[in-house]
Amino acid sequence: MPARAPKILIVDDESQIRTLLKATLSRAGYVVVEAANAREALSAKAIDKPDLVLLDLGLPDRDGLELVDSLRADPRSALIVVSARDQTEQKVAALDLGADDYVTKPFDTEELLARVRASLRQRLASEVERQVVEAGPIIVDLLGRTVRRDGNEVHVTPKEWDLLAELAKHPGRVLTHEMLLRSVWGPAQVAQTEYLRVAIRSLRQKLEPKPSQPRLIVNEPGVGYRLLPNEP
Amino acid sequence: MTKAQIMPSHVPAAARVQAYTGAIGMVALSTLVGLWIAPRWGTAPVDMIYLPAVLAAAALWGIGPAIVAGLAAALAYNFFFTEPVHTFQIDRVTDVVTVVVLLIVALVTSKLAAGIRSHARIAEAHAARNATIGGFAGKLLSLSRETEIAEAACTELHRLFDCNAILVSGLPEPRVVAAVPAGNRLTPSDIAAAALTLESGERAGRGTNRSQPAEWVFSPVRSSGAVIAAAGLARDDGHIPVDDEQLPLLENLLDQLALALERVRAEADVREVSSLRERDRLRSALLSSVGHDLRTPLTAIMGAAAELRCEESSSPALVATLETEAGKLERYITNLLDMARIEAGAVKLRTEPVDLVDAVAAALKDLRTTLAERSVAVELPSDLPLVRADPQLLHHCLINLIDNACRHSGANGALTIAAAMVKNEVRLRIEDEGPGLPQERERALDTFMRIEGSDRKGGAGLGLAIVKAFTEAMGATVTAANRDGVRGSVFTIRFPQSLVFDAMESADAG
Repeated sequence: MPARAPKILIVDDESQIRTLLKATLSRAGYVVVEAANAREALSAKAIDKPDLVLLDLGLPDRDGLELVDSLRADPRSALIVVSARDQTEQKVAALDLGADDYVTKPFDTEELLARVRASLRQRLASEVERQVVEAGPIIVDLLGRTVRRDGNEVHVTPKEWDLLAELAKHPGRVLTHEMLLRSVWGPAQVAQTEYLRVAIRSLRQKLEPKPSQPRLIVNEPGVGYRLLPNEP
Repeated sequence: MTKAQIMPSHVPAAARVQAYTGAIGMVALSTLVGLWIAPRWGTAPVDMIYLPAVLAAAALWGIGPAIVAGLAAALAYNFFFTEPVHTFQIDRVTDVVTVVVLLIVALVTSKLAAGIRSHARIAEAHAARNATIGGFAGKLLSLSRETEIAEAACTELHRLFDCNAILVSGLPEPRVVAAVPAGNRLTPSDIAAAALTLESGERAGRGTNRSQPAEWVFSPVRSSGAVIAAAGLARDDGHIPVDDEQLPLLENLLDQLALALERVRAEADVREVSSLRERDRLRSALLSSVGHDLRTPLTAIMGAAAELRCEESSSPALVATLETEAGKLERYITNLLDMARIEAGAVKLRTEPVDLVDAVAAALKDLRTTLAERSVAVELPSDLPLVRADPQLLHHCLINLIDNACRHSGANGALTIAAAMVKNEVRLRIEDEGPGLPQERERALDTFMRIEGSDRKGGAGLGLAIVKAFTEAMGATVTAANRDGVRGSVFTIRFPQSLVFDAMESADAG
């Protein structure tokens, strides 16, 4: 975490949601700026330079999906979509456009804060911090290319390692099925969801305390997987 | 455009008399000029005087008047100017030659002129025909309804061919679409002729070799190979309305009619498609806006409850109630929207290979407030095959089934979620320890739903109806039964063999 408090821009046309999010985020120690529509959002983005944007998709002047791209222009700024649209296609579309995460309304406050922390960590973490990721009893060493469970090295196949490493490089963030298939199996295999399911199950057998009730590598139905890291 | 222009007409008798009189008149005029010239300069130039008269007759009136003019000129020349004068005898060879030349000139010139005239007439007829077809197509082009086009086509056919026109379509009972003059009726033999044309695509009725007793003659109106209508023509005097010469024109006009009808139908199809698309768009916009309007205040309530939990003065029990009830409301809203989607036929299936471990874990996570301290046993074998399912629909099914099980098994009744391969199908069971299903075992789920839906527990009927609709949309089934030997009910989602993936391939595939 940097010395100054991270700044978060809330983009939502409903004032009660902005009030609520402002209270929650301020209590958690963040500086909050607000925007009620796309126009205000773009100018706040330019003037206030927030570290993270919470974006509602149903804005009065423009569809939020169109904004994802322009709000993400700066790679040091994270973006989480917070929307009442719960259809899988909407979530995948927002993530494909570059959103770091997608939270549906009504959201669980603790979960939203966890997503905010994960996205900010991803943006603000130093190189060294990114090299080792801890999740439950496992430690993924990205530099040493090893994974330990309760201190003992676990043998994983090359594909399993690639998959685990991809998830560990973005701890706490959801990666879509397509993103994972593309980076691990290559662009020709993006439709082979089956490969991904099999590899995830195998990783869970090796890493999860209870493989049938996973807590470390979790699935967002129809969207993708995330590795839940231990909170620092 | 008048009838005369489109129909090449023969020269009327009066004009013919005029032509022959004119030819003889011109020869007479030439003779007068010759009589004036001969005494002064001799007879030598006189034969030349007749040449313009013969040429003019040939050019103006054709071969008959030209020959008459040639003969008259030869005779007049012989009579007035050759020795012996005032007789038809010829003494000199040169005079014989003059007479013969005059006749040859008459023949050749008239032949040439007739050729040119007939070319011109053909070109004129072509132009007239094209103009007729163009005018006809133009009249139909501005119209946008089939009945208007049929009416306009009949009006034009009536005018162009000077006969009654009618348009008939539909098999096996052809009916009149338009008629000019209006109110024309068809006899049974006419209807039979029209049906024959509609069926075979050939002309039928009077003047053809099919259905001759009919008063009308019908021609097919063809569009992309199919006969879409039959155009009938008839004359009050019973004569054949269109002769062979005019048939190609009629066919061209009917082709234009077919094009116009085809265009109108295509336009109607496009309108239909775009209005369907617009309806779909509105429906999904409405659902998404209702979802937004209901979820936004709920988000504020749930968020405010979470904030309250942090305040020391608030009662934890009250905050918990607030959160639990808000959670129920949220599921109820989701169910209402799902039901609206089902009823609107707006459920879109996006299936993919699904690991039931993922599906169960996601459902349990979303229900963590409802489940609280309740014991849930999850029994999913590590070699359970993947199933083909829509992850979102399956998620909503599991939420509803687990929520339903919670409501029926008392405050702390344990749940079991288990899956297994049974006879080539994957069965996912949700078992509770409640009182079980009301009456006999193995009730159909929809009957159960109706009974449940009406009781005071409320909401369950909707949830189970959604489970049934979603599982069936995915090609799976859901059944409800009482548990064997122990208290409680069990709901089972069955994925048939067609939705079950073969034994897992190696994770390093690809």
